[in-house]
Amino acid sequence: MKKIWLALALILFVVGCGTQNENLAKGKELIKSDKRRKEERAVREFKLALQQQIDSAEAHYLLGYYNSQEFYEPNTTDWAEASITERGKQMFLAYQEEQRKYLERLVFETLRDDDLDIQNAALDALKRIYKQGDRKRLLSQLQKAIKSSDNRDRHNAHWVLGHLGKEDPGTIVPILVKLLDHRRTETRLNAVKALGEVGSEQAIPALAALIESGSARWKRDREEPEVRQLAVEALGKIGGAAVPELVKIVQNKGSSLRVDAIRALAVLGDEKVVEPLLEALKEQSSRDVAIPLN
Amino acid sequence: MQKKIRWFNRPRHLVFIVSLLIVLMVGFGCDNQYYDERLKMQVQQLDSDLKDRWSTSGVVVLSTTPNGPADKAQLETGELISYVIAEYPVQNAGDFNSAMKQALDEDNNFILYLKEKPPLRIALRRRGDKVGLSVEGNGTVRVTQIQPGTPAANTDIQVGDIIEKIVDERKIYSLDDYKDTLGKLSKKQFTFRTTELIGVKIAAVNALGDLADVRAIEPLVDIFKNSSEFSLRKGAISSLQRLVELSVLNDLFQQFQSADVNQLPADSLQPQQLESAAILGLLIVDRTENTATLKAPFGTQFRHRSEALYQKINEGQLAELAQEYIQIEVEPEQEIRRACLAIIGILKPISAIGSLIAVLENPTEIPGIRFQAGLALSQIGQPAVDALITAFEKGDTSTKDIAASALGGIGGSKARDQLIKALESSTESAIQLTLVDAIAKISDVTSIQALERQLQQYQQDDESGVRIFLDEVFRSLEFSNN
Repeated sequence: MKKIWLALALILFVVGCGTQNENLAKGKELIKSDKRRKEERAVREFKLALQQQIDSAEAHYLLGYYNSQEFYEPNTTDWAEASITERGKQMFLAYQEEQRKYLERLVFETLRDDDLDIQNAALDALKRIYKQGDRKRLLSQLQKAIKSSDNRDRHNAHWVLGHLGKEDPGTIVPILVKLLDHRRTETRLNAVKALGEVGSEQAIPALAALIESGSARWKRDREEPEVRQLAVEALGKIGGAAVPELVKIVQNKGSSLRVDAIRALAVLGDEKVVEPLLEALKEQSSRDVAIPLN
Repeated sequence: MQKKIRWFNRPRHLVFIVSLLIVLMVGFGCDNQYYDERLKMQVQQLDSDLKDRWSTSGVVVLSTTPNGPADKAQLETGELISYVIAEYPVQNAGDFNSAMKQALDEDNNFILYLKEKPPLRIALRRRGDKVGLSVEGNGTVRVTQIQPGTPAANTDIQVGDIIEKIVDERKIYSLDDYKDTLGKLSKKQFTFRTTELIGVKIAAVNALGDLADVRAIEPLVDIFKNSSEFSLRKGAISSLQRLVELSVLNDLFQQFQSADVNQLPADSLQPQQLESAAILGLLIVDRTENTATLKAPFGTQFRHRSEALYQKINEGQLAELAQEYIQIEVEPEQEIRRACLAIIGILKPISAIGSLIAVLENPTEIPGIRFQAGLALSQIGQPAVDALITAFEKGDTSTKDIAASALGGIGGSKARDQLIKALESSTESAIQLTLVDAIAKISDVTSIQALERQLQQYQQDDESGVRIFLDEVFRSLEFSNN
């Protein structure tokens, strides 16, 4: 019995090797080499590989990863196909073939790339996944990333969540708000930044509560100063409906964030701010006050 | 049976009530506010990180009850109490010892006031260390002995010095600190030292400059005139300067306002104003599309506010203020004098000519500022020509230098003729260079002819600085004509 299984496995392996796409292998070989214009040539191979085998996840991914517009004359068909959205689409096609593998790869590998175009293509792919793919899994991966101990992952996750949130604040804002309770300061920091980028009014109460925690009696109830400061900035980015909340901070004479709130308000240029600012100017200067007691 | 159940439930009730009490106590305990029964005022704990960020600490006055001690002392809402200061008059040796004991409690230091000597701060290294002073007397308390090796021995105290009082300054770090310090204070009278949160005011002053609202002008002028903080005054004058810069764009913004739009064809607007507005970040000019678009939020909001701002600024109060503060005798801070000169340069009040000439001629003023006064005069233009000619004629070399360039900047036949006359009679090469430069700036037919005459005069003299400079001037004139 054992022998039969072994033979079967061997046959499968051989068949597998045989169907390994030649162009794909050639392209990958090129990338590893130190040949001139290797990436451009590899891209050609990946395109050929897809002609032979349209469902090759790897070829789709590599095409999305390497197909730079730099290789082509502007306004040609090839050039258009190397746009960020086209590259994002290729990455998304790779995801469709092998969901788990490429979701993880996009979140924890592609986003970390130094090349801005690649990061943007990955963002585009993730947006597509959000709309057409396994949204739940995507969100759980992004939450895993924003909770990560690696600064790059946290930063990338906040960036993606910020973008997704702009399109669907109803889903993303509650997730980010929940992250404000996470034990890792840097995670909370990134969640606050993302909330600022989303710019949704829904986040105002949570940000306000976080800012107010600075006057909590117990240290464990107080949010870190840098997170609170960013929360004020986030309120500034939300603008409009957040103005009263920012004015409240300016008026809270025990708050350490008054200056930050004033700066955020100055950028918004809202007329409602003039009065509270004039009030702040009227506050007493340093002085000695004698207190008589009877 | 019924009774049994009741008995059984009673502890449960108790547990419930006790736990409710605990919850309530914790709830009250978490409160960061405290009502001081003695002073009749509500105080609040500062944000924890204020201490780190602004290096201030203390408690904030939230409200005072009318006619209570705090209210009577005119403590105001928002004041930050950072020190409690208690004074102990010393009448006899007993006073001295008890005052010292009180003052040394907790913070190990106090301030000693000796007759006819500056106050001395005495600090102990450790709690319980000796101060090292022995005193004696009734009514007048004198130092009788100073122990070597003690803090007292390291100061300027001498045997026979008369002790007047001991002052204890205690820093307040938190609400608990406040309660503790005031609780222990047996004194009838004490003093709070408050700290102004200058950063907040500076931020407010800067923001008001950006918001371009007419209501800000009076308070900013008030701060500028009356504050003792340089940074605040500097902020106030630069905000005023910005408001002045914005106000002169009123014509431009009224075009948007009267059409009730945020975009107009760029070529329908005055180019210079358009450029300044773009530099100030109020609008974006797209030459290819021929559009000028107001930027949100400032540009789009400013069109509603510009008229009021313009009216207020042109009432003349600001020009007068700036005129006063360009004088070094009035304003010792050069940055402020510069800002005032900039304001005058924008508002161009003819009434400022006299004071500008005074700055220009002032040998004790910084050369850069004298030059800026000249620049402001050239911005005022033709009305300043006579005064500049007089300053040129009677002034020293540097006055001549500045006045000549200002005249060149203004141009016109009167200024030109004066400059040419001066060039033709001048022998001082430094002045000649300035005059050539000023005349070249005017560059009409008459002035070019005058420069050509000079060039002929210096034809033989290859080494002359004037000759080299003239060559350069003609080269650049040719270049600009091509």
